[in-house]
Amino acid sequence: MTSLAASTPPVIRHPIEPEAAPAVQLEGAGLTYESKDGILEAVAPTTLKIRAGEFVALVGPSGCGKTTLMRMIAGLIAPSIGTAQVFGDSPRVAQQRKRLGLVFQEPALLAWRSVEDNIRLGLELNPRETDTGMNIEELIEVVGLTGFGRYRPAELSGGMQQRVALARALAIDPPLLLLDEPFAALDEITREQMRYELLRLWGVSHNAQEPPRSAIFVTHSVAEAVAISDRVLVMSPRPGRIIADVPITTPQPRRPEHEHSDRFINNCAIVRAALRAPTTPAVPLDAA
Amino acid sequence: MFSNPVRRLDSVDAPFSRTGERQRERLAPLPLPSWRPLAGWVAPPLVALIILAVAVEIWVRAGGVSVWVMPRPSSVLDVFVSDFGLYFSEGLLTMAVSLAGLAVGTAAATLLAAGVAHSQLLERAVLPIAIMIKVTPVVALIPLFIIWLGHSIEPKIAIAALITYFPVLINAIAGFRDVDARMHDFFRSVNASTWEIFRHLRLPAAVPYLFASLKISVTLSLIGAVVAEFFLSGQGGLGALIWIEQNNLRLDRVFAAVLMLTLIGVTLSTAVVAAERVFSWRLDQPSAGA
Repeated sequence: MTSLAASTPPVIRHPIEPEAAPAVQLEGAGLTYESKDGILEAVAPTTLKIRAGEFVALVGPSGCGKTTLMRMIAGLIAPSIGTAQVFGDSPRVAQQRKRLGLVFQEPALLAWRSVEDNIRLGLELNPRETDTGMNIEELIEVVGLTGFGRYRPAELSGGMQQRVALARALAIDPPLLLLDEPFAALDEITREQMRYELLRLWGVSHNAQEPPRSAIFVTHSVAEAVAISDRVLVMSPRPGRIIADVPITTPQPRRPEHEHSDRFINNCAIVRAALRAPTTPAVPLDAA
Repeated sequence: MFSNPVRRLDSVDAPFSRTGERQRERLAPLPLPSWRPLAGWVAPPLVALIILAVAVEIWVRAGGVSVWVMPRPSSVLDVFVSDFGLYFSEGLLTMAVSLAGLAVGTAAATLLAAGVAHSQLLERAVLPIAIMIKVTPVVALIPLFIIWLGHSIEPKIAIAALITYFPVLINAIAGFRDVDARMHDFFRSVNASTWEIFRHLRLPAAVPYLFASLKISVTLSLIGAVVAEFFLSGQGGLGALIWIEQNNLRLDRVFAAVLMLTLIGVTLSTAVVAAERVFSWRLDQPSAGA
């Protein structure tokens, strides 16, 4: 643990901007499916606001609709009621302006492209003159894949592949990162490393024209959520709705040794309590 | 009620060495295609063939079998060698017809598959007709094609194309649709156009499917070409030659033509397999950039 802490540089934080348009704003956004047995509610109407520069974790039991919520925010699925807005516009506009960086549980890389060409993908697609983008060489170095740029994804380990996926999301320098259980398929050692690497990468240089970078991080792990986020949103079992909003009080910048502090343990306990008692919110929703 | 994160971690936790080991395995240079194991594959069937030919030779000679029924393998070989120029040039014609049909059929099927993969309406309209063509023995259309396209090379190519069309169509549709859902989400999240999704996601994903169908259709196109040549015996090709020599009761010459067809079939199939190897071998190599 101590050696890991020593190798982790301090995290550069973006200021949270209360004045700017919220990174994400859901107004009673929910999703219902029509199935043979009638109408199935996947996500209950959800109202949610994530400020620019905020790092929010989303935890909840399996199948509660976390991924569906993320896909609604990314504009990949339209809410059947309510509205979703990203930086004050519809998610479609966010897609057009390339303001979304998606990372999934699986790396989902193009097997026939090299590491650097996979990272470049977001810049190549829907190219715009205003695309500043990141220097690919630099990005490969930042995610710790120096010398692997010409390799194919199949030649890399699972953890390295997930770094490529992260670099691909960061390449377009998006002001909003949507991370859907990005480390769930990794072994625990890699996973603990990636936590703090993610925080470091999240803070790496970004376009001054864009709002400070925000992130939504879906995870099954309470410790992971508490370790890296500014606040943790807890979802109920299906149909998912947000039942608790827990501000995390461990000091910034986050370091691995914080995971042993009393504050960290207390924060975890609050989140776990909220998960256990889904009908009675442990913390008022407007606590933040 | 809720998943215990500690338990979950344990369940996905791999042995410590796993990542490192797998890494080393995969980083080893990829083996280049080698011709040495080929000897192990070519020699046994070749020896078996020679034994079979010798057996037939003994049977025909000892049993006094008439040359009108079964020619001696030695005289087939004799004809094949002495008239090699004829069989080779006629064989080239048959191969050209077969390859032209394959090219036309594959191109048309791939184009239609690209449309079908994007449109449910087109799929519903086109697929039943495609299946109807599939269940129809297309060689039955040769007389019609001769009326429509004349006594020349065109009806032969048309039949070879039609016979190769279906396997390519079905495989290409499956290939264009076999894209990773998350990958598709990523493309959409940066507002990639339909063309970009096709060019950078669907088309590369379909390459293994296209090769699989090509392996089937390359031999089908040869069948189409030969059968069409039976009907157009004035237009050359090994099919026409077989038809004429059958009328002359020169079974040794029929067999010699069949032998040439076998060689063409082996050549074409091997070419497809080799192309697939070279292509997928390239896919595994570091690329030179987009």
